[in-house]
Amino acid sequence: MSASRRGRFQAGEDRCITCGDEAVAMRVTELRDGGALCEDDGGRMEVVALDLLDGVDVGATVLVHAGVAIGAPR
Amino acid sequence: MKYVDEYRSAQLGRVLAGEILAELEPGRHYKVMEVCGGHTHSIYKYGIGDLLPENVELVHGPGCPVCVIPMGRVDDGIAVALKDGVIFTCFGDMLRVPGSQYTLLDAKAQGADVRMVYSPLDALRIARENPDREVVFFAIGFETTAPSTALTLKRAKAEGIANFSCVCNHVTIVPPLRALLESPDLRLDGFIGPGHVCTVVGVRPFEFVPLDYGRPIVISGFEPLDILQSILMILRQLSEGRCEVENQYTRVVPTEGNVRALEVMADVFELRPHFEWRGLGFISQSALKLSERYREFDAEERFAVPGVRVADPKACQCGEVLKGVIKPWECKVFGTACTPEHAIGTCMVSPEGACAAYYNLGRFARDREAV
Repeated sequence: MSASRRGRFQAGEDRCITCGDEAVAMRVTELRDGGALCEDDGGRMEVVALDLLDGVDVGATVLVHAGVAIGAPR
Repeated sequence: MKYVDEYRSAQLGRVLAGEILAELEPGRHYKVMEVCGGHTHSIYKYGIGDLLPENVELVHGPGCPVCVIPMGRVDDGIAVALKDGVIFTCFGDMLRVPGSQYTLLDAKAQGADVRMVYSPLDALRIARENPDREVVFFAIGFETTAPSTALTLKRAKAEGIANFSCVCNHVTIVPPLRALLESPDLRLDGFIGPGHVCTVVGVRPFEFVPLDYGRPIVISGFEPLDILQSILMILRQLSEGRCEVENQYTRVVPTEGNVRALEVMADVFELRPHFEWRGLGFISQSALKLSERYREFDAEERFAVPGVRVADPKACQCGEVLKGVIKPWECKVFGTACTPEHAIGTCMVSPEGACAAYYNLGRFARDREAV
């Protein structure tokens, strides 16, 4: 994963969150058809598929891996 | 930062290190394996080994998805990438994994259209935008990543995108863990379980570790305090004579996992009878292939691939590193012939591979110790 795709959450880290068993917590900022616009704590925005979660609304935190939300931290 | 700062406190880390010390039985040597490559990376990055007493040893397990891909599968991917009209997509680290002759990056230098993607959904978008080209996604990863591939294939089927296909190399974590526990040359006292795999599969698939093999396992998060607390929970189980699955990562991992993701995976994938793991050999029912319903998207059916098994390079000891039998620096070519820039073995390719994590982050501390 290129450095430009990393937010502050990953700043300075050389971890590849895509192919590793790693996921990033992101906040849902806007619901869109087929997914949601999400933001990590460093301000990085990304369109994320929400198909695998129920009842996610704006403001919720989701765990994102490879462009798909796989969990919702409590 | 929520979910981060509270798990990186140095003060709390020292408290946990003290509690770990208090749980130890004098004279006993403890070996704890972290199954997941993400944990290996965190352990070196935060110097967690330095906080532990000398008789608590961390052993790095086989949970880096890049590291376990055998050379023959890379060759199959390169063969597809070199076909006319193909746009070959994969995750970034896969580009540098050596096949028997060269890497996907070398294939790109030879003119193959190889593109790095962040998500399989990006590969599907490329297929939509290039209807006259065949777009192939080289899928790797454990149960954390498999749902994103499954979801992508469901969308491809629903939209009728015929020029998209997938080389499926998804693997499952339980069979290699069982193979490791059966291995006679490995003595382990407990396991740090893979937190994000469990987000998908839940906690129950790991119950065999205490039930069949009498070893504690604690599902763990990835921040330094998560890992220290998980080690403490394992040691506490040992000192209290308990042996069970515990979930340290309850803020993320539900006991039952992500049921929707498991349903999607069950629709799109089925188990392969056998799959070869780098360094571990063939393990039964340890990997996924596309189910009959999604066969039309199987790149191995669509394109002729060599499908030849290639032995690992003799100098490379990735197998022993993946099994935790040797430490990365004990490999003969570590840091000399094999570096992240010119990797011989896969453990040196991904930042989550034990060798690369140690080379990039751990070796300086060891150099200081040696002086």
